[in-house]
Amino acid sequence: MTMTEAGGEPNEPRQPSAGGRVGRVAGVGQTTSQQFRVVLDADRYLAVDDLVVVRTEVPEAGAVATYGIVTESEATYEGATFESDVHRIGDGGFQPAEQVRTAQVAVTRVDPEIWVAAGPGEVVERARGVDRQRALYVDTIDPAKRLAVGLGRDGDEIEMDLDYFDGTKGGHMSISGVSGVATKTTFAFFFLRMLTGLPNLDTRATANLRALVFNVKGEDLLWLDRPSTKFSPEDAAVWTRLGVEPTPFRLATPSRDDRGGTKPRALGGGTSPTVAFWAPPAKASRDAVLPDVSGRQEGIEAFYWTPEEFIRDGLLQFVFTDASDQRNQIPFVEERVRSQLQRWMRPVDGEPGAVTLVDPSGAVHAAQGIVIRDMESLVEALGALLEPEGGGDGQPHSAWAGRVQPGTISAFMRRLQSASSGLRLGRLVRSGISRRIDRTAATVTVVAIQGLHELAQRFVVGALLQETFREKEMTGQSHPLSVIVLDELNKYAPREGVSPLKEMLVDIAQRGRSLGVLLVGAQQSASRVAPDLLENASIRVAGRLDAAESERAEFGWMLPSTRARARLLKPGTMVLSQPAVPVPVVFSFPRVPWATRRDEVRPEGDPFKGL
Amino acid sequence: MARLYLESWAPGFGSPVEADQSLPPSEVEVDPAVEVDGAWEPLPGLDDGVRSIAFVDGVRRIDARLTVFDADDDSGLPIPGLCASYAVGATVWQRGPAPRSTYEQVAVHRIAVLGRGRAEQMPQVRGLAYATESTEGEDDDQLTAHVQTRMRQAEGACAAVLAQAGHFVVADGPINEFAPQQVIGYIKTHHRSYLGPAEAGCVAALRPGERTPMFRINPQAKFQRYSWYVRLAAVPFGHAWSGVVRCESAFALGRDEARKIADRTAAILPLVAPPLHIDPRAPQNLVPIAALEKHLRHQLGDAALVERALRAALHAPSTSAEQEAAAR
Repeated sequence: MTMTEAGGEPNEPRQPSAGGRVGRVAGVGQTTSQQFRVVLDADRYLAVDDLVVVRTEVPEAGAVATYGIVTESEATYEGATFESDVHRIGDGGFQPAEQVRTAQVAVTRVDPEIWVAAGPGEVVERARGVDRQRALYVDTIDPAKRLAVGLGRDGDEIEMDLDYFDGTKGGHMSISGVSGVATKTTFAFFFLRMLTGLPNLDTRATANLRALVFNVKGEDLLWLDRPSTKFSPEDAAVWTRLGVEPTPFRLATPSRDDRGGTKPRALGGGTSPTVAFWAPPAKASRDAVLPDVSGRQEGIEAFYWTPEEFIRDGLLQFVFTDASDQRNQIPFVEERVRSQLQRWMRPVDGEPGAVTLVDPSGAVHAAQGIVIRDMESLVEALGALLEPEGGGDGQPHSAWAGRVQPGTISAFMRRLQSASSGLRLGRLVRSGISRRIDRTAATVTVVAIQGLHELAQRFVVGALLQETFREKEMTGQSHPLSVIVLDELNKYAPREGVSPLKEMLVDIAQRGRSLGVLLVGAQQSASRVAPDLLENASIRVAGRLDAAESERAEFGWMLPSTRARARLLKPGTMVLSQPAVPVPVVFSFPRVPWATRRDEVRPEGDPFKGL
Repeated sequence: MARLYLESWAPGFGSPVEADQSLPPSEVEVDPAVEVDGAWEPLPGLDDGVRSIAFVDGVRRIDARLTVFDADDDSGLPIPGLCASYAVGATVWQRGPAPRSTYEQVAVHRIAVLGRGRAEQMPQVRGLAYATESTEGEDDDQLTAHVQTRMRQAEGACAAVLAQAGHFVVADGPINEFAPQQVIGYIKTHHRSYLGPAEAGCVAALRPGERTPMFRINPQAKFQRYSWYVRLAAVPFGHAWSGVVRCESAFALGRDEARKIADRTAAILPLVAPPLHIDPRAPQNLVPIAALEKHLRHQLGDAALVERALRAALHAPSTSAEQEAAAR
């Protein structure tokens, strides 16, 4: 998704409205324990998403408070029988009629838990303060786990129960919405900023948190350290109200010295979390190793894997992530080759990162002496072992090929060869000093893979996810938390088919919660994402949805009224579902102080005054 | 040439030109020359911008039938009675830049009427205040007429209050107050033409918003009043009298004042006449009056609940002796 906020300004929450009586429970028709209607007083209003409370005196049980959320607002002319009566009422004024406003309310909570219908004629009050907290179950959330994610339609904070994100009771977040207007990624960053910035949060959950983010479209995420021209004092006021100082991320990309060492960047003042930017090397820069981005040169580092790292980490599996690769026996060959490479790999003196293949038994083989410096030479070495052309005895090396059909071998080689071209994986693997991504350098690590071929994008994502996950598996510690933000999840874990990348994502979804690896997945169509991923996400957020998409079963957690409105949501307005609150809540988050695209970057020298 | 016409009113409401029993049959004398001498021509209405118009009406309902049975009565026959509710009130139309209408002076009355002059008292009905009245009549029509008279009186009182408050009052039915006040009677049905053949031709020539010249009813007798015809709307496929209503005002108003009022009605009443499709008595049943009737009927309360309350009151053991009997 792009972070373009085309299609309107972000939704401003309206002014907080006064509490007190707004009307009475309607008496025509029945009220139930699930819903009722409110007939409003002439001088009050209730809008959709407003929260109300009714206190009913129940025989035997005593006072019962019924909390609810407005799901629809209605108005009618009482006294009008025909449509044309409005002219006689409104224009001529000679037909008496009364405007009657009502609101439908879905019950969210009954306290004490005696599920009786609210009494007709009982006074309905707008829920404010403690009542509002009870209506939204905020009182059941540990104060140190209340994560403010924005303002509700009533102008007050909406809080998320962090227990359902950090793995305590649940984990992972799924964000859905139409590209461009749903502000999925912006929200993910806003969420990270709140997570790392809110002072009330349990430090165990937030300390040393690391987030890995993939920039998959445009260069929208490469400006997180630059102030935005769109950020207004009103937005700043909302940030302050939520309790976080509105500042951009601090740049912390380590700068490289010529010998391959890194030195930490001098950070500016302030307490905002740090960010580091990484990009694959540009195609043309064989020796210079410059990052492949057009927008910014400073503060971004190039990364690649050396052949040694490629083999040691078993990254070969992420070369074959296409669903069609899984049908024949290619995975079998790949697995065998992967482990053979690890067994035979030997470093090459004087060439850091490069390897050569040596048979542990000492036997001479067809790839003897070939120095693997990049994908091309890797293909060459594997070709010699698997598809010897007249060399040796013309048979593939049995330790490498096993008893696989020659057709499968050649399919494997063909795919490896095409994946290894300079346009695909070629530039991601090269010998030299190690230039792996250092995920410890900053709180947020942004990996810019927007310029890569899809196959290479999947490779990078797979490699980094595996690295993150393995690290956690090794330590066995769930803290500090590791958050992975992945847009276009449907590309990496599609509903249909199998691939090592999808398997790993499903694994993260299932086991990551206890390991402290938390996935923030975003997608345009939840219906195209593997169900395991959606089902394991405790927190669900949706921005504007495609009309057809909102009707799908994946959005069954929304109220019918919320579904109907989901295609009208403005940028910055989202629907939140969390296990602690049984109804989805609509909220708005303020604009962010960092630029979400290049043309929003505030020019240098322009003081960030007044904020 | 004779021709058949279909009346615009729904058949359940009778016909706008059928005989109206409530008009006294003695009213036959008419003076057609109070406004114009000689031949009648339609006169255009004139909206003088009157600030507010009150439309007064009443509704009634028979809640239950009563029977007095007196074992000591010589005739030994049951004596009829009834319980009735009636409501009167007004729709007050405030004209001006932001016109709007409200219901005002709405009052609900409940009476129990006993025939043959019986003086028994209705027991207390919970939540409903029935006043007991008696009438000499014995049959159902006479009892109903008693209720009707009470309602007409209440309407008259309501009209007087509103006229004194400065409203121009349009009261449903003939007027029965003859004091000089800004009240007109609005008669939807015609049981006879007050006019001779020459003047009746003028009614046929009326276009919407026009009226006939005024004429004077009972010039020699007690209930003198001015009257005129107004065409509210052109009724498609209607005859000469379709969409025509008759208005009357007190003679005591004086000719000039009555003429001003007549002009006003001719201009304004067509504005508030309903289109044919929205009211079974269109166009004569004016929109404010139709709305008022609906509102008043609602004010009468739910008929079933009223009947239940009456039953509870009359069936309750009223004396200690009866209570003991019931206990046994």
